[in-house]
Amino acid sequence: MNVFALFAFTGWIEQTALSVWLRESPSLWAFPFVLILHTVGMGFLVGSNIALDLRVLGFVPRIPLSLFEKLFLIMRISFFLNAGSGLLLLIAYPTKALTNPLFYLKLALIAFGLAGALMLRNQVIRNPVADAEGVPSRSKTVAATSLVVWAGGVTAGRLLAYTYKFLMAGE
Amino acid sequence: MSPLELWLKSTYLSHMMHTWWAWPTAESLHFFGLSLLLGTVGIFDLRLLGFARQISLPALHRLIPFGIFGYFINVVTGISFFVGEPDQYLYNPSFQIKMVFMTLAGINVMLFYLTMFRHVKTRGPGENAPLAARIMGGASLVFWIGVLSCGRLLTFFRPPTRWCPWC
Repeated sequence: MNVFALFAFTGWIEQTALSVWLRESPSLWAFPFVLILHTVGMGFLVGSNIALDLRVLGFVPRIPLSLFEKLFLIMRISFFLNAGSGLLLLIAYPTKALTNPLFYLKLALIAFGLAGALMLRNQVIRNPVADAEGVPSRSKTVAATSLVVWAGGVTAGRLLAYTYKFLMAGE
Repeated sequence: MSPLELWLKSTYLSHMMHTWWAWPTAESLHFFGLSLLLGTVGIFDLRLLGFARQISLPALHRLIPFGIFGYFINVVTGISFFVGEPDQYLYNPSFQIKMVFMTLAGINVMLFYLTMFRHVKTRGPGENAPLAARIMGGASLVFWIGVLSCGRLLTFFRPPTRWCPWC
């Protein structure tokens, strides 16, 4: 997209009432509360993925693989919590996020992480013989990659605070 | 600045925290450690409360060492932040409340292992934890989310931008 068109778009978002309220309200229920939600959601989304990866890699062998299906409920809830809170953070500072390449890397890493979780679900969690026959080595590769991808996603997200070029379109 | 702050700021660790890479790296590790804690201790707490009862409590408990590892990462990185900018934390009400939540969480962990763990250890798939253990699981979730929330609020209470009723 043309840089001018991008700034026109993000500048328009920044002037909407929701964006202004999120950014400028002194209330802790505006920006700070959304940040807290985003961090709790991150903890449960990344954390439950780590738990799944550790099980697939063989660290908590006594839990039957099929029972990890339950973890997907936590992943789903925390993913939607973070899609929602993330959208609000994006509405608050659209220029800041959309002009930073790391933001797109973060989204890509999240997509990879989710794809990994779905692969593990198909390969082992919903595989009735996985408990008896053991985890295939390709699934262990997926789990090990998933750990690295989620750590990368967390890091990319955290670095957004340090690496932005433009805070707002008006600058 | 107090003698304690002056001394902390003179340490090697404090200087290192002001290199271009140390603070962002420690922040990233701190958030990864938090995820490890919520993904292990948090899920165990949910199980105590009755979530995913088909998973046996002692089996799920084997995730806890990874949560302790996350906690350890966060103690080390947390101390590094504190030593890097002591005045940003000492006089910050959000930091003080965070320490209260950490103490409560610590007492809760101690109580759990002293009183309830031996009962929980024998509960297999489908079995409920005793009521007291369930209460401790709920308290654990509240306290750790309290720790996390106060951590996120630190920057909004940075002295002296916001008035603190008791600092």
